[in-house]
Amino acid sequence: MSATAGSATATAVAVAPTPPAGQWSLFWRRLRRDRFGMLALVFTVAWLAMIFVGAPVASHILGHGPNEPFPYAVDINAKPAGPWTTVPAVHELHQQAEYATEKPKPPPGTPNTTLVLGADGPLGRDEFLRVLYGGQTSLEVAIGASLFALLIGAVIGGLAGYYGGWLDGIVSRLVDLVMAFPLLLLLLLLGTTATPNLQHVTLGVFHEGVVSLVVLIGVFTWFYAARIVRAEVASLRRREFVEAATMIGASDRRILFKHLVPHVVPTLAAYGAVLVATNILLEASMSFLNVGIGLPTASWGNMLTSTWGSLLTQYGYSQANFQPWCTLVPSGAIFLTVLAFNLLADSIRAALDPDAA
Amino acid sequence: MHLATFAARRLGASMLILVALTFVTFAMFERIPNEPAFLLVDPKIATRAQIAKARHDLGVDRPFFTRYAEYVGRLAHGDFGRSWATIGYTGGQLQPGIPIRDELFQALGVTASVVLGGLALVLLLSLPLGIVSAARPRSAVDRGSVAVSLIGISTHPLVIALLLQLFVANRWGWLPGSGYCNLHGPDVYVTSGISSVKCGGPKDWASHLVLPWITFALFFIALYSRIIRVRMLAVLGEPYIRTARAKGASNWRVVRRHVMPNALAPIMTMTAMDIGTALGVAAYVEVVFHLPGLGARMVSALALGIFDVPVVIGIVFFTAVIILALNLVVDLVQGVIDPRAFEARRESARSGRVT
Repeated sequence: MSATAGSATATAVAVAPTPPAGQWSLFWRRLRRDRFGMLALVFTVAWLAMIFVGAPVASHILGHGPNEPFPYAVDINAKPAGPWTTVPAVHELHQQAEYATEKPKPPPGTPNTTLVLGADGPLGRDEFLRVLYGGQTSLEVAIGASLFALLIGAVIGGLAGYYGGWLDGIVSRLVDLVMAFPLLLLLLLLGTTATPNLQHVTLGVFHEGVVSLVVLIGVFTWFYAARIVRAEVASLRRREFVEAATMIGASDRRILFKHLVPHVVPTLAAYGAVLVATNILLEASMSFLNVGIGLPTASWGNMLTSTWGSLLTQYGYSQANFQPWCTLVPSGAIFLTVLAFNLLADSIRAALDPDAA
Repeated sequence: MHLATFAARRLGASMLILVALTFVTFAMFERIPNEPAFLLVDPKIATRAQIAKARHDLGVDRPFFTRYAEYVGRLAHGDFGRSWATIGYTGGQLQPGIPIRDELFQALGVTASVVLGGLALVLLLSLPLGIVSAARPRSAVDRGSVAVSLIGISTHPLVIALLLQLFVANRWGWLPGSGYCNLHGPDVYVTSGISSVKCGGPKDWASHLVLPWITFALFFIALYSRIIRVRMLAVLGEPYIRTARAKGASNWRVVRRHVMPNALAPIMTMTAMDIGTALGVAAYVEVVFHLPGLGARMVSALALGIFDVPVVIGIVFFTAVIILALNLVVDLVQGVIDPRAFEARRESARSGRVT
């Protein structure tokens, strides 16, 4: 090996061949050719920037926050204002007569403020800012829970796949068991019983309630990641390069982390994107079942469901207060984000493994 | 492994799982600070003695293991206990409460209506869609169904449910948007909007379930049409298909006689295995459309703030039994039909989707 390499360098000094493209540059080259994938990537990056950077900027420009109520953005029938409405910037409404047919005039000289996407419900909060800030909460939950699940899954799945034996048996049975049960019922059960204790943990950076959801969702979704990693590691560890590494005296830890984990990363990346998409949906489900993010903190889930009402009291529908935007805006935000992450997952998968696609 | 041995082993394992599951649920509710006595007496005015009496009447004043053993003993006789929320004092007299069993079977009927009807819709739509797109890969139908299924899996059933209820039922008034009518049995009153309507019989039953079925189906159609397509394509690549074509069989005959039986048998087992996910999806559908099914009942038992523990454990047990029984039946049927795939099935089973 070294002899042929030596003679090759001796003859190839004049015309240095371009080094073969690495795994990642090949990946990037293939991804760039994928139109839908690039579209999804650009959209995701722009959307994340808008949510995490744009939200405070927008709030500063508009001059109000996502949790401030504007009574004048709601008419006398409790119908929230539609998109692009200018309302008086007051948070309280004084002395409304009992049978009034319209709201009292605001005091003269009140400054106005603009609600870009209208009001969010009977309280008249800014729907646009709530979508952006709600996106922060929802994505913190979704991305945090995905990373948490991937981390646990990779470690446990890796160990189970590498060592096999009783550990593998336990992990496999556990995965089978959990996958057979309605996740939602378990989440509901644990959500009502465990989250009140974790509700106020924020670790300084997250919104309230995010950490408890991350833990809760992560604890119930690592099984899938573990299953993927386990299968991959179990098949890889019989390959020659592992044998070679063992022969030159590499420790188990080194083989696992230096030789096997890098092979699993691409698969995990694609699965991670799917997981983020499903977790966004899961957050919405949990808010609906009263175990999600608590109001007034906005999340896409609680924005979507608060227009419907809560489990105990559903808001009555009437023609007079029908405002479709309150449902359509969070629905659209959830749909576009999930779609983008799903497309991204497909493209990552295709770019990493062009033969299988 | 012999089929009978396998069945016996699985049955034993299922029993263990059920015991473990009830124990964990039982223990979980033991650990959370929650005073069930407040379902019976008002926490603001009740005296210590009254609370103690209420605890005694609910049977929660005895040690944990005694109660658990008693519960398992009663479960073995098919008795799920009584709903705490229905126990109360009327005129100083203790009302014993309503047994959960009948309630659970009624709720099961509702959930089954949603799930089975939805499933029928899923297979009705995803089979032709999957088969056509596999028979003509890269055609307009195939590309269209890729797009539709991508949109389908990116849309939350909850979003579909809320939008259908808001627009189709409330705004346009095309179909009823809430309530459940008995297929047979007594007429019931369901509220639609502000008025209360008496309904019953197959026609009302179906019309109240159309929107729930669509909601339930859209999510699974997206998954299933793609999976059916992939399986069909995999079978189309097999050597025996080439042989059939070489014999001069027409394209349609190849698909119908050679591809479909081989591709679709696993789809049926997969359908049964997805029942856990299906019950989860059904839970939102039930809550949104006010259908008194298992999921909705569970949610209401937990939503009170004081948990109706016997109902919750009863539903957990009930769903677990359904899921385990279906899995066992599917495995056995699979073993009889196709012993070759029998061993490998567990490994190749599609990982369930999280909702």
